Parts: sequence; C-alpha cells; structure tokens
Amino acid sequence: MSGWKRDLPIGLVVLAALIAAPAFGLPRFWITTVTVFFIWATVVSQWNLVFGVAGIFSLAQMAIFAIGGYTTAMMGLYLEWSLWLALPVSGLLAVVFGAVVGLACLRLTGAYVALLTLAIAYILFLLIVTDTDCVYYEGTVCRSLTEGWKGLGRYGDYGFRDLFGRDFHLGNYGLALAVLTLATLFSFAIVRSPMGLAFRALRDNPGYAVSRGVSRFKYQLLVFALSAFFTGLAGSVYAGVFSVIGPNVLQLGLLLFLLSMMVVGGVGRPWGPLIGAALLMLVDETLKEEAFAGYRNIGLGLILAAVVVLLPQGLAGGIDNLARRLARRGGGAPGE
Amino acid sequence: MNADPVPLLRCRGVSKYFGALAAVKSLSFDVAAGEALGIGGPNGAGKTTLFEVISGLNPADEGSIELEGAAIERVAPATVCHRGIARTFQFNAGFDTLSVRENVLVSAHFGRRNRAWPGLAHDRATGELADRALELVGMTERAGHMVRDLPVFHRKLLMMASAMATEPRLLLMDEPVGGLNPGEIDRMMEIVLGLREQGVTIILIEHVMRFLVQLSDRVLIMHHGESIYEGSPRGLTRDARVIEVYLGEGMAKRLRDAMAGGDGGG
Ligand SMILES: Nc1ncnc2c1ncn2[C@@H]1O[C@H](COP(=O)(O)OP(=O)(O)OP(=O)(O)O)[C@@H](O)[C@H]1O
Ligand SMILES: [Mg+2]
Repeated sequence: MSGWKRDLPIGLVVLAALIAAPAFGLPRFWITTVTVFFIWATVVSQWNLVFGVAGIFSLAQMAIFAIGGYTTAMMGLYLEWSLWLALPVSGLLAVVFGAVVGLACLRLTGAYVALLTLAIAYILFLLIVTDTDCVYYEGTVCRSLTEGWKGLGRYGDYGFRDLFGRDFHLGNYGLALAVLTLATLFSFAIVRSPMGLAFRALRDNPGYAVSRGVSRFKYQLLVFALSAFFTGLAGSVYAGVFSVIGPNVLQLGLLLFLLSMMVVGGVGRPWGPLIGAALLMLVDETLKEEAFAGYRNIGLGLILAAVVVLLPQGLAGGIDNLARRLARRGGGAPGE
Repeated sequence: MNADPVPLLRCRGVSKYFGALAAVKSLSFDVAAGEALGIGGPNGAGKTTLFEVISGLNPADEGSIELEGAAIERVAPATVCHRGIARTFQFNAGFDTLSVRENVLVSAHFGRRNRAWPGLAHDRATGELADRALELVGMTERAGHMVRDLPVFHRKLLMMASAMATEPRLLLMDEPVGGLNPGEIDRMMEIVLGLREQGVTIILIEHVMRFLVQLSDRVLIMHHGESIYEGSPRGLTRDARVIEVYLGEGMAKRLRDAMAGGDGGG
C-alpha cells in the first residue's frame, strides 16, 4: 500500500490548490472552464477503470454519461424533483445501464467490444434525435420526451443561483470538484483493492485468471457497473451546470477527445486521466483563440500522435519512469 | 494404495473431440489421495487436452470426472479451482504486467474459495500464504519483479507457486521441466519431492523420462488419446507397445539401467 503514501499528499495539495484558486482571483471564464475539466476528468477516471485497468475496450462511457444527464433533466422537468434528489438516482440508473452493457459484452473480446459499445451509443443517439412524438403540448408547440436535437432545458439547476446570486458558478465549481474528488478516491481504492487485482489479472490473461479462481463473468460485470456510478453523476452535474442537455454529448468527436485524454495521460495509470484531461483541456482552450483558428483539431491530433510515439505509457508513465531514474541516480531506493 | 474406497479423482470414459479428431478417447483412471500419477506419451497424444478437460477450461464431450465423489465435468474453471484442483501450463502462463507477488496473491485471494464480495484489501493470512508459496519455490527475492521480465525457469517456478497458493488438493503439472537445463530440472525435482512429502496429490505430464519415472508412483502412457499403459514406472521400460510408440529401445534400456542402479539418470 506504499502507493497511498505518495498519492495522498499529492492529491491533498492539488485539491487545496483547486479549492483556493477562485479565492485568489481565478477569472470567471476559467472557473467555468475548470468546472468542465472536472466533469470530463471524472468521466475519464472511471473510463480508465474499464479501458485501462480491466483492459476492456468499451466506448459506452458517454452513453452512460448521457443516461445520467437525461435522468436528471427528466426528473427535474417531468417530476419537478430537486436536482439534488435526481443526482443519486442518476448515478444508480447509470449503474444499471452500465451493467446491462457489460452483460451484452460478456462473450466478446477486443475490437468487438468497441464495435458493440459504439453501436449502443449510436442507437441511444438515434433514439433521441428521432424522438418527435408529442407527449404534451405547450400552447400549440409539440413537446417530445427528449426534445430530439434541441435537447432538454428548463428543468432547473442545483440551486446555486438562489444561494450565491451572480456567483452561482462557484457552486457549480465546488460540486463538480467534489464529484471528481470522490471519483478519483474511488478509482484509486478500486485499483489497489483485490478487485483491481482481479481486473488486471483478467486483462493480462483471462484464461489463466479463470483457472486461478477469478470469475470473468462477475468481475467484468462489476467493472462496468462500478465505473458507471460516477460517470452517471458526472452526467447529472453536467446537466445542472449547463441547464441544458442534448444528444451532442453522444457525438463521436467528444468521445474521441475524452479517449485522447486517457491515452495522453496514460492508459491504466491512476493519475493518467487527471493529467491527460488537464493538458488537453488547456491545449484545446488555447487553440480556440482567434490566432490559432483552424489549428484546433490538428494541434490535438499532433499531441496525441507525439505521446503515442514518444511516451507509449502516457505522461503519467513518463513521469513515473523519470522519477524512478532520478531516485536511482540519487542513490535512493527505487520506490514502488 | 486401495485403502480409500473413493479416490480423490475418478475419470470414467472421458472423451474430447476436435472435429473428427478424438484428442482424448474414453479414458478411465483413478488417482488416490497422496498419490503421484505420471502421464507420458508422444506429441499430440492428448495429455494437455486431458488437463484442459479436468480443469474445466475445455469441458469433456463424454464421460464423468469426479473429485472425491462429486461430479466436476460440467463445472466452470474458476469453481474447479475453488474445489481444489490447481494446474500449471505447458506454455508459460502468467499475468505479465503484475509483479511476482501480485501473481501469487491472485491465487491466494481468489483461488481458495468463491468470494461473494472481494473486499477492499486482502487479509493478513492471504498475504502470508502468498509469501509462503514464493518461499516454497525460492522466489522471495524476486517478489517485486514484473513477470514480463522473468526468465523461463522463474516463470515455471512462479506458475508452481501460484498453483500452490490456491491450497489445492490435486496439483496438475504440465511439463514442469520442459525446456530447462539439467541443473534447473534437479531444482524442480527437489521442489516436487517436497510437495510429495507434504502429501499433495499430483498428476504430472512430462517428456523428460527420468523426471517422470522418479517422481511418479504410477505411470499412464497415452497414444492417440487412449491409454496404452498404466502401471509401475519399472514395468514401463519393459512394455513392448510403449517401447514401440514412445520410448524406443535405447531410452528403455537406459531407464532400466538407471533404475537398476537405484538412480534415474538419463
Ligand atoms: N483447441 C484445439 N483445437 C483443435 N485441435 C486441438 C486443440 N487442442 C489440441 N488439439 C489437437 O489434439 C491433439 C492432442 O493435443 P494435446 O495438446 O493434448 O497433445 P499433448 O499430448 O499435450 O502433446 P505435447 O506432448 O506435444 O504437448 C493434437 O492432435 C492437437 O493438434
Ligand atoms: Mg501438451
């Protein structure tokens, strides 16, 4: 368990800095951007459990996210629930959905898992954008269950406008940071528990793992279900922060952006998702500037290619190797 | 050896087909508790397939397999492991990106019984079991090494330690010394003798005849999926059929001489 001794202090310093940042005058624009970073980092940290730790090439993560987001929106809109009540329900429904996806993938391996999960996400996308049956009329305007392309809105928010007035974005920042913190702790705890051992064993050699008593059925289902909870919560937070959720969260571009975060950070590395998400968000925001117009996708693509070629274990892997080399040169014990 | 009416393992009419090929063909044999059964036979005789069938990784098409009277021929491989059958593999298997100790921990934590909930940490007894298994094969010093980087001999030792960490009642070893040098074979022989002294029941597949003959109470020779000889290691070297399809006159004579000399060099 020596990993915690290194990671806990680092985590606490980062957390303290993120809590203090708004007080030290982080501009409003950046507070909103960092809030979005918190949401994507949450998604990637859980995706990493399935994709990196368990080695299952699932691309269903944004579908799970959408389930969480739409659940929150619909509960707010149709049941007039407080979003705070909808939050845990969204997480739990995401878990059920995640488990079903896991069940569907049970007999598949490798690229076939990627194909099936992508198909599931695409079906969800199509179901939403083709949803035009009126469930009720507002005046003469036909409203469908999911509002199709337009997406859902006017279901309220997390109440931060009433609480903080024009500083409501600080509430969103705090909520998203809290969810990311819990999600990160959760993923670290899972990776270092016997469950993490089972996931990694199945990833390395499923036949051998099974013959050592690890049930593939159980642990594959478990990793899908567990990683879905915080993904669903992230979807719910997203819905609350943006006050609108639409099928755009299911688009391929976003999925690939998040996948790049995982690859750049380091697939299967506990810190990878945070490092990758931070770097790519930063680069993306920079390249959005007028001066770089047209270079956004090229820039992101170049970074991804550079990391894949030069640092196959991602930035987290590169940092680990560097630290080990420095420790060795300094005569210190090569820590685990 | 016949004191116990219910043998530890009982196979009756076990067959496994790959298309038209009968890799294992109505094979029947018993293994008593505490016994070591050696299995030999030419390449492609069906030895590994028999292990696949017993361990549940590739279930039998026909026949029954019982562990202490309980049917296991339709039981999932993870459950077969929980029931007490552990196995090593002809082709070195391992969890490549895990450390040596983590490899053994998988067995110690998941291999002994079904865990409804895997828990957030393994208990002290599990850790100690893993450490004892590594000690058994003399790999304590390499506990922190990544398995990917291990040489062949250490991979074989690790497979053995992993199998023993499941606390098996029956240990199946598939060519534990295949590809090893004489010094390494001697080391492996010491380890297996140690297990025998502990009373572990063993089924052992091996082409290295001196290893097979020295460690087995009884030998079974397979050919085209069938048993062509079952009996003492000594009788093996005089059996015309075994000499014809497997040993050859030269090897049979060398084994006879070695056994007469009280030592199985060859
Ligand atoms: N999965 C499989 N599919 C098709 N045929 C197979 C399969 N596994 C084994 N066989 C065939 O079954 C026969 C028995 O193979 P097996 O591996 O059991 O032999 P073996 O006695 O272990 O040989 P060796 O001494 O070379 O290890 C061979 O003819 C082999 O080609
Ligand atoms: Mg074989």
